[in-house]
Amino acid sequence: MSSTITKLNAPLTQAFDFQPSSELQLMPTPTLNTLSQQLAGFNTLTSALEYAAEGVTGYNFYDARGNLRSILPYSALRHNARTLARRLSGFNLPRGSRVAIVADTSPEFVELFFACRYAGLVPFAMPIPVNLGSHAIYVQQLRGMLESSQASIALANIDYFGFLEEAVVGVTHIQWAGTPGKLSELPELDVELQPNHPDETAYLQFTSGSTRTPRGVIITERALMCNLQGIVRNGLEIKPDDRSASWLPFYHDMGLVGLVLAPMVTQISVDYLATRDFAIRPLQWLRLISRNRCTVAFSQPFGLKLCTLRVRESDLKELDLSSWRAAGIGAEMIRPETLRNFAEKFASAGFDGNAFLPCYGLAESTLAVTFSKIGEGCKSIQVDSKALIDKRMAVRLQADGRKQNEFVNCGQPLPGHIVKIVDEDGQQLSEMMVGSVLVQGDSVMTGYYNNPEETNKALKSGNWLDTGDIGFLFEGDLYITGRRTDVIIVNGRNIRAQDIEELAEQQPEVRSREASAFGVNDEDGTTTIVLVIECRLTSVAERQSLTTRLQQLVYMAFGVNCVVELVPPHTLPRTSSGKLSRFAARQGYIQRTNLTGQLSFVESGDR
Amino acid sequence: MTESNYDEIMQLLCDRLSSLTNSNAQITPETNLISQLSIDSIKLLNLIMEIEDTFDVSIPINALTDVQTVRELVDLVYKIKTAS
Repeated sequence: MSSTITKLNAPLTQAFDFQPSSELQLMPTPTLNTLSQQLAGFNTLTSALEYAAEGVTGYNFYDARGNLRSILPYSALRHNARTLARRLSGFNLPRGSRVAIVADTSPEFVELFFACRYAGLVPFAMPIPVNLGSHAIYVQQLRGMLESSQASIALANIDYFGFLEEAVVGVTHIQWAGTPGKLSELPELDVELQPNHPDETAYLQFTSGSTRTPRGVIITERALMCNLQGIVRNGLEIKPDDRSASWLPFYHDMGLVGLVLAPMVTQISVDYLATRDFAIRPLQWLRLISRNRCTVAFSQPFGLKLCTLRVRESDLKELDLSSWRAAGIGAEMIRPETLRNFAEKFASAGFDGNAFLPCYGLAESTLAVTFSKIGEGCKSIQVDSKALIDKRMAVRLQADGRKQNEFVNCGQPLPGHIVKIVDEDGQQLSEMMVGSVLVQGDSVMTGYYNNPEETNKALKSGNWLDTGDIGFLFEGDLYITGRRTDVIIVNGRNIRAQDIEELAEQQPEVRSREASAFGVNDEDGTTTIVLVIECRLTSVAERQSLTTRLQQLVYMAFGVNCVVELVPPHTLPRTSSGKLSRFAARQGYIQRTNLTGQLSFVESGDR
Repeated sequence: MTESNYDEIMQLLCDRLSSLTNSNAQITPETNLISQLSIDSIKLLNLIMEIEDTFDVSIPINALTDVQTVRELVDLVYKIKTAS
């Protein structure tokens, strides 16, 4: 036992066998703390950090080669964040003013985030650019968020500051834009940092890179603390010997809430790998888990798929994943095969399939809504495809040979939260009936910042949040069957159909309301984006030019390929109000291209 | 680094791209990675890993935002390689 503790207390500085560099004497923060563990239950983020700072655990940052680059124990985070907060106080901003931070996976981002809270300011994370040729579109996305949030201050580290500098030009509310280095040159004001109130906004979470209508979810301290408590006590049952590893971006809700804030409110250590480094060499994440004996690590199904695709037999021999007890899976539709393939591939490396922990959530509910039972793995049920389509009902498969669909059990809502399924008229449906998934509870957002129109669309009376997902309940457990047509999920990324259509409509050849975007699924579950355009061009060269340009624009903005179909005017189906119906457009496309077996039941009508 | 190194990088990238994309089309410096080769995110990551391993460089993600053609990618790799 004592040797186990010694081992747990001394994770290796390297995630794999590279020659240790003599200049690096860094040791990662230990797994076991000197402080007795408190599982959330704090009033505010800063009070949680004040407690965590009394211990020795914290955050560790690894580079692409698996070397430990920097550590940020909670004690240092507290100290640095308070110092930065006093520098931020020099701007004399009203409490609650927004601070935009480009969120790369770095200690600086976390310090700035907490500095804002200590100074009574509201931080929000902005994404880093990921796509080839995306320079101009990325700058537009940043500008959209800066304008929508009416941010007073904007920060980016030196790698991304150039983009930020371009983005702030002409943005009215911005008083100062700089790097963390520049901020550190500002004087520290001798002020008493005021405690925060649970009703105050803790941060904003942007949910889409849309340039025209970015949506910043308002998360109060109360909602955050409520969600964190549910996650760490009921979802994960965090224990003192837990340790996390994560490659999830800090600008996503799962990365920020699940793998930055949840570890902090339970005072456990985390090992980080930048998302880019994971994407290029996914096994580095597994090596971190293996070497540091991590127990809790989340991923989208797509991340697991990358690992399964890239692993070689020789890699398996050097991995020991037996410590991994909570492999949280969320953020996109979970297909059971993805998990089965991963479990099969990594079984010889000690991975236990019972570690799979499917869950469901969304930024509008802080992060988590439901968790399946920990330690029981991925459970699913098979239902009759015909009944799903014809009756919108999940009927458990009785006989073999019938066409079936398999859906993953995402578990029950966190305490204090209710999930209900409703039809198009908002009427509650009984168990096994498929409809829109609505959530109510303390984790639900108060709205989108500065965007009453979108807020009214998402929040129904009684503060029921319309998630935009489609599913059913069975024995109290939630099963997600799909997404309404307004969001397309490709490789774990949510892309709003409207954003793609807007890109198309910016082309001189395309009139507004003559473009329709949706996703179609291949046999293996891969989603392809289809963009159907009503087109008057007759010359082959002009048509080709439009098609190529649209594909390029979509790629630059979203990093995905798409199929462009040009159809004669009046081909796209419209609703009675003249609005394009994506659902009907998709059905039409499927008929034209003879794609059988498409899951037409997963989506209800457009809203 | 010399002129021949630049050509070497160009040659290697063109070869890799043509096998990655199974494209019959001739790949030239002006070939557009996005519209002509349809490099998706997984192919792109594979390519970056190969470039990094072959040339022992690290490609910063922010630099890729200004890359659209094969030549621009070669220029980037060459610039990083000569700076290192």
